Amino acid sequence: MAAHEMDFKPSQDLSIGVELELQILNSRDYNLARDAADLLKVLEKLEHPGEIKPEITESMIELNSSIHTRHEALLAELKQIRDAVVEAAARLNLNIAGGGSHPFHKWSERRIYPTERFGHLLEVYGYLAKQYTVFGQHIHIGCPNGDEAVYLTHMLSRYIPHFIALSASSPFQQGADTGFQSSRLNTVSAFPLSGNMPFVTTWGEFVAYFEKMRGFGIVESMKDFYWDIRPKPEYGTVEIRVLDTPLTVEHAARLAAYAQTLAHYVLTRRPLPASADVYLVYKYNHFQACRYGLAATYIDAYTQRQLPLQRDILDTLELLHPHAAKLGTSEALGELRADADTRNSDANWLREMYRELGSLNDVARRQSEEWMGRAAARG
Amino acid sequence: MMSFEFLPQFPLPANPLALFGVLLLAGALGGELTRRVLNLPRITGYVLIGLTLGASGLDVLDSRMLGYARIFFDVGLGLVLFELGRRLDFTWLKRDRWLLVMATAESLLSFGCMFGALLWFHIAPLYAAVAAAIGISSSPAIVMLVARELRAEGQVTERALNLVAINSVVAFVLMTMLLSWIHREYHAGWFVMVLHPVYILVGSLFAGFLASVLALGLARWLGKKAELHIALLLAVVLLLVGAAEALKLSVLIALLTFGVLVKNLDDDHVLMPVDIGRLGQMFFIVLFVTTGAMLQITDVVAGGAVAVIYIAARFVGKSIGVLSFAHLSGIRAGIGGLLSIALLPMSGIALAMTHSASSLYPAFGAKLATIVLAAALILELIGPLAVQFALRHAGEAREEA
Repeated sequence: MAAHEMDFKPSQDLSIGVELELQILNSRDYNLARDAADLLKVLEKLEHPGEIKPEITESMIELNSSIHTRHEALLAELKQIRDAVVEAAARLNLNIAGGGSHPFHKWSERRIYPTERFGHLLEVYGYLAKQYTVFGQHIHIGCPNGDEAVYLTHMLSRYIPHFIALSASSPFQQGADTGFQSSRLNTVSAFPLSGNMPFVTTWGEFVAYFEKMRGFGIVESMKDFYWDIRPKPEYGTVEIRVLDTPLTVEHAARLAAYAQTLAHYVLTRRPLPASADVYLVYKYNHFQACRYGLAATYIDAYTQRQLPLQRDILDTLELLHPHAAKLGTSEALGELRADADTRNSDANWLREMYRELGSLNDVARRQSEEWMGRAAARG
Repeated sequence: MMSFEFLPQFPLPANPLALFGVLLLAGALGGELTRRVLNLPRITGYVLIGLTLGASGLDVLDSRMLGYARIFFDVGLGLVLFELGRRLDFTWLKRDRWLLVMATAESLLSFGCMFGALLWFHIAPLYAAVAAAIGISSSPAIVMLVARELRAEGQVTERALNLVAINSVVAFVLMTMLLSWIHREYHAGWFVMVLHPVYILVGSLFAGFLASVLALGLARWLGKKAELHIALLLAVVLLLVGAAEALKLSVLIALLTFGVLVKNLDDDHVLMPVDIGRLGQMFFIVLFVTTGAMLQITDVVAGGAVAVIYIAARFVGKSIGVLSFAHLSGIRAGIGGLLSIALLPMSGIALAMTHSASSLYPAFGAKLATIVLAAALILELIGPLAVQFALRHAGEAREEA
């Protein structure tokens, strides 16, 4: 059974899929609500593509896209799912919001969604389970085999700060400005199995590592690793998990397009060998990106140079031109370039809203309006 | 000659502030005792301690004392209705019209059932109509406070509060319109018959509207500062309660209107969604203690079978109204049943309305009281339990050890 479970199921090269964790807000003070179960009930009756699932606390839901190869198709589907969720929420007088954190909810007020798995997590992790009411975007990239997945994982590790900075949307936590662009990842780092995959170079080595960890009794399945980026053998993908859920599905789709294009570059060009040095600078880069976003400093392990993260992102986008043209992601990457150029981020937008409106209730309200935006206007 | 004029004179004059303290302390202790010993909701305890101190018990709170307490009662009720009004969400009702239909249906059906049942019992139509109108309203105080005590949140809680808000509106409006009939019964002139309800209705609505305009204007000027907004709302609530009394308007309608409009006219979101409940809590306790003291065990005896029929008819009417539309507006199976149970309580509102009827024509009030107050007492005591049951079974109470 074990071997079977760790067999890497090949999937279509460079296909992408997206998971988005979303916030459920009430309409009174825009605090987190607890209506995930009722919302999912209503959604059962509405037709929509993809999948919508519960998450660890009753204030969250997760929406999954299907597998796509084209950015426009992914975006179109995400919009459809979003519209369905928004419609269901409206019936229950609820609002749905993107963003990596809720600006002012209190973690102690959260309730674990009643399933066996989530109950188990509460038992294992105590209050961390409730604090895990943060909202991330996961991007799956299809790989032909396990060795490619391991290589892609190591290569993408170099770009993890890009994804953090470009998606950062959690400046507020528990009613205060954290000073971070992405404070959500601080919550994730508290888990003992967070961090990154060890430096193995083949799928065989990886399976050996996994079996050892399972032998120790530390993990039961791949699900137990809360790594920033991890291979997912049952889907045949590499999964990037560091992104905050952006404020709009459009931005979420753009980030997926960026991941897809990067993977195309890495897997077709094989520009560099995997390097353990990436992990020497990994935590530093990770912290910088969380704290300062597009204004962070970045250390390139390959050139051993320090440069602004913004510079590295713009250079990478430049490098990806031909690949973007092939995949049809040029427009999406152009928009990301504009953001990077002006250091425009969701986190900055949220802070701007707070300055303008003066209360975090209003920030949460605008956050939900932003996510539901066009759907609400149409409905 | 020695003069002891610096010493207080006996008997001491009644002091409303000390009375407030006594009521609050008695309520807090009684509530906690009831929770610990009888494992009942605190609110039931507030009422029980009121009953004990009132005419049915030790008679410490006699009618003179209750006259002083009346102001606290009104403030408590005003705060409750204001909070309730803020929960009434027009946008939601526009989106989920079945909820509005359900609310209207349960209000009208419960009126019909109570009215019919009382006629069946040979109660004169006027009394039957007024009693039935009063019975439409579920107790906002009980539903809100139990929800608060359980820290309940979710679809059943929100829907129950919106239903209560709507049935309170229907009850107040109907009751005001019935004033015409009462006046006719007592041979008042036609202009009184027509103008009195119009004055109350229009005046109270207008007062509530002015208060909301004032509150929103000041909130805009104050900016987003939570403490200031709490002070502002509390001040306007007190002002409005006082003004409504001085102008002989309806405190109930004015405060409910204020709450509804301050929420639904606030297009720019200038008012922060502050929670005045914590400050209001002490008034709520006093509200229930006073309610208990105003009620009398003898009422139950006097009301007897009629009260039981009245309660049963009310429950049947509300349940049919809710259950007929639950599948169209609700989401989960069983939600309709829980909502019907949550609408059971009846309380301070009934007292206030009976009181205002009595102040017009004491004889009328006395006759009405025998029907309504017995039911009010019974429902005041089991109401909190009913709401607690409904919210717990809906899985919306947040009580984790």
